[in-house]
Amino acid sequence: QQIQENLNKQLLENLVSFLSRSHSDFQEKTTEWTCKMKFREIPAAALVLGVNVTDHDLTFRGLSDVLQDNITPYVAMLEAKDCPGIKNLMQKLMGQLMNCEIDVDSLEDEDCVQVSQNRVRCSMPSLISWYDSVTKKTDSETPSKKRNSSSRHWQSPPVVVVFKDMESFTTKVLQDFIVISSQHIHELPLVLIFGIATSPMIIHRLLPHSVSSLLCIELFQSLSCKEHLSTIIDKLLLTSQFPFKLGEKVLQVLINIFLYHDFSVQNFIKGFQLCIVEHFYSQPLSVLCCHLVDIKKRVYSLSHDQYENIRRLPSFRRYVEKQESGKQIELLTNDSFLKVETKKLLEDLHVYHENYVRILRCLHVFTSSLPKYPLGKQIRELHCACLENRVWETEEYESSLQLARMLNKTDLVTMLQQCVEILMSSSGKEFDRAVEKLKEFLTQFQNLEAEASQEQDVSISPQKELQKKTDLYHLQKTLLELKESRRSKKLTKFEMLRFEVVDYIDSLVRRYLVPADERTLHEVVYFNGAAVLRGHLNAAPRTALHTALNNPHWYLKNQALRCDGGGISNKAPDICIVYKLHLECGRLINLVDWLEAFSTVVMAAEEPNDAASSDQVDDVIHARFIRAVSELELLGFIKPSKQKTDHVARLTWGGC
Amino acid sequence: IAKKNKEQKMGNLVEEYFEAHSSSKVLTSDRTLQKLRKRRLSQQTLHDLLKNAPLAYAAEIRDLNQQHESLFSKWMLQLHLGFNIVLYGLGSKRDLLEKFRTSLLQDSVHLVVNGYFPSITVRSILNSITEEVLDHIGTFRSPLDQLEFITKRFKEDSSLELYVLIHNLDSQMLRGERSQQILAQLSSLPSIYLIASIDHINAPLMWDHAKLSLYNWLWYETTTFNPYVEETSYENSLLVQHSGSLALSSLMHVLHSLTLNARGIFRLLAQHQLEKKDNPSYPGLSFQDFYQQCREAFLVNSDLTLRAQLTEFRDHKLIRTKRGADGVEYLLIPVDDSTLTDFLEKEDEDV
Repeated sequence: QQIQENLNKQLLENLVSFLSRSHSDFQEKTTEWTCKMKFREIPAAALVLGVNVTDHDLTFRGLSDVLQDNITPYVAMLEAKDCPGIKNLMQKLMGQLMNCEIDVDSLEDEDCVQVSQNRVRCSMPSLISWYDSVTKKTDSETPSKKRNSSSRHWQSPPVVVVFKDMESFTTKVLQDFIVISSQHIHELPLVLIFGIATSPMIIHRLLPHSVSSLLCIELFQSLSCKEHLSTIIDKLLLTSQFPFKLGEKVLQVLINIFLYHDFSVQNFIKGFQLCIVEHFYSQPLSVLCCHLVDIKKRVYSLSHDQYENIRRLPSFRRYVEKQESGKQIELLTNDSFLKVETKKLLEDLHVYHENYVRILRCLHVFTSSLPKYPLGKQIRELHCACLENRVWETEEYESSLQLARMLNKTDLVTMLQQCVEILMSSSGKEFDRAVEKLKEFLTQFQNLEAEASQEQDVSISPQKELQKKTDLYHLQKTLLELKESRRSKKLTKFEMLRFEVVDYIDSLVRRYLVPADERTLHEVVYFNGAAVLRGHLNAAPRTALHTALNNPHWYLKNQALRCDGGGISNKAPDICIVYKLHLECGRLINLVDWLEAFSTVVMAAEEPNDAASSDQVDDVIHARFIRAVSELELLGFIKPSKQKTDHVARLTWGGC
Repeated sequence: IAKKNKEQKMGNLVEEYFEAHSSSKVLTSDRTLQKLRKRRLSQQTLHDLLKNAPLAYAAEIRDLNQQHESLFSKWMLQLHLGFNIVLYGLGSKRDLLEKFRTSLLQDSVHLVVNGYFPSITVRSILNSITEEVLDHIGTFRSPLDQLEFITKRFKEDSSLELYVLIHNLDSQMLRGERSQQILAQLSSLPSIYLIASIDHINAPLMWDHAKLSLYNWLWYETTTFNPYVEETSYENSLLVQHSGSLALSSLMHVLHSLTLNARGIFRLLAQHQLEKKDNPSYPGLSFQDFYQQCREAFLVNSDLTLRAQLTEFRDHKLIRTKRGADGVEYLLIPVDDSTLTDFLEKEDEDV
């Protein structure tokens, strides 16, 4: 658990740093722009951020930090839920600005007292007087006490107000605020920043012309969330930095949730986190999921039980079966022998990862430029394909190789160069040979170029001849010769070389991109509980209710409940019977008929031991019916209806 | 093929919807519960009857619950890692949560919210946090202020930890947008651990992306098949006597304590209402007509006495007055016709 928390932290830090980096250029632009604004109208920046509202928090936090560091200490963030009316908005704004001031300057108590007093009456004039006093203070104070040098030339730093979610603000509040602040723009230099989730059209829809003419809007676009996803996958999954890996199905689930549900990077990270937790919680051998340096120590500290666990792993069993019999016995009985073996296997696994990632990138370089992208455009698709099964057995791989054989030279050369770069960056010796080979290819290509130019010289000459001779017979002859030579021309050197390169890449792929499932001990680092993950992240409460009501046998393992087809046995729990009966009705249900049907079914079930007075039984059945009906009401299947006396309305339709 | 099947299924679903809502005319029989000749059960008798009825499949349900209970330690781990847990599935999850509380949360500060309780509000949840957990006496202007205060305190003091268990997060009182927003923000605090249960089929509609990310849910299916005893005891079912509206017993009770003339006045009104019961646009008996009839029956002698009498009825909620479009006062008995018929029959027996 400790490791896992460490890992978790490491991962999160990595992510946050990455995210802030990816936002930074965007923020830089915004900040620069804020610097440049003059006070004619209210300057406003519209940041188009995309629909993944949940990720925006981080962006805004980064933005406000950057702003505070570089330009102005006065940044206020407003959220729609805090500002139902203009009064709340002003209050919030004042509070934040004054707190900001204290944060940055870390002034003493007197200011705090002032703040608390001020909270009572928050209006524009008081804001302006506060601003005046603050700016005066900063003006009068010595330069050393002022803000960093970058903002010293600012005689009056602007006050930045960030509207985090433009769409959810009420129109009136926003309009009022803009109109009010536009009247005070000379005394109070305001800058507005709108966070927009949809499209910039929304500004014009929310604000009438009279109001939007008061603004001087500049548009900024942020990175699309899909790019975020690719970078995150790049950083998290395709590195050897983290020992923990995702299985193919799990990755597919996470990507699907991202692409088809919410576009939220944060949710993706959450899912990833959950995978880690789940892996370290459920898999007893996950202790071994660590960096290369720790493996030896951990392997030697394992207990006998854990060795037994290793022996039980399916991938290990496959491995044992392939060994000769003497070694098999050793592996299955001798702990210390297994210890050495395990260490070796785990190290192999690590080496495999390193190689895998490099070759995957190389392959991606090739496939991503092919027309129609048979293996996918993004590296994540390629990764999934490689994890799923042997990639060279798929049709897509075949077709992409065929396409690759038709590449022209310049593309091929640049690709090879990229591959060399990727392979060079690896530290291991494994790829020295590959790099050399590729370099060799490159030099050959260069040679080819030189040769080609020579050849051109040669080929020019017949053409010259052509121009020279005007004799019809000769012309015909030469043309025929040319045609003949073109047809019978064997593959040029370049084409030969191209085949060679492609074949070599193919061989690399075959060697290194073996799916992880086939590696021994892959269970230690791969998490494969896709069903668990989907259940926890993307649950379907309605389906659960449906199966429980339709088919109680699924949950309650009792033989009496088993039945086939659409029918339901009369021994099912009351609520299931009532539910089944209600399915047969239309939009309205008559309670009396329903009750009678229910009691018929239940009586049939109880007939054998019917001895008590029927009145008593009747009452009990009535009571059970009432309970079941009110439970259905609680679950939202029916609601009382006023249309007709003693009727309920069905809220669902069809078979569920 | 599977996909095609699914598509077809979807198409069927759509068709089924329109089929169900195609005609405004619904064919059902006209039988009503009154004609069933069975007394309505009161809450108490219902409870007693159900207590005696044996719970079916007790052993299997116990197995099921044990299966869920084995997850407790996992829940704790995940709560501490910043996730919140939501339970869904058929059956009451109250006992399960209660067990979770008694077995694991005994030593720590925890708050149990009974969402199914009809008078619960977010305000009261926040109040119990500020008053009992944070020992803060004082009032706040708005729940938002209160939330801010709580957030500040929890951020300052990292030793504070609070487990919040909410039964039926989707109940009538808590399903509003504002209360969900506040609860979501509360649950996003790292030292507040939330574990909640939902039952309604449309419960996930309460949450948009922003709230979902604040809640940071982990979904657990916990189908228990336990009867919703506590939860439905507040649900006003059609078949149970409503304590709010007038029932025959209370009607009789009040009228028995009145004078003969007063009973006569009420009888007159009831009879008149029953005669007109087939006329759906019947607005009630106008005061002038009623006065005339009462005078003729020698029940009152002046306008004033009738008015006094009617005031008394009104105080007992036996009648309701409504002003019509022409400004005339109309009198109505807000009791359904069958109860009224029963009442008149009983009266006849008494006399």
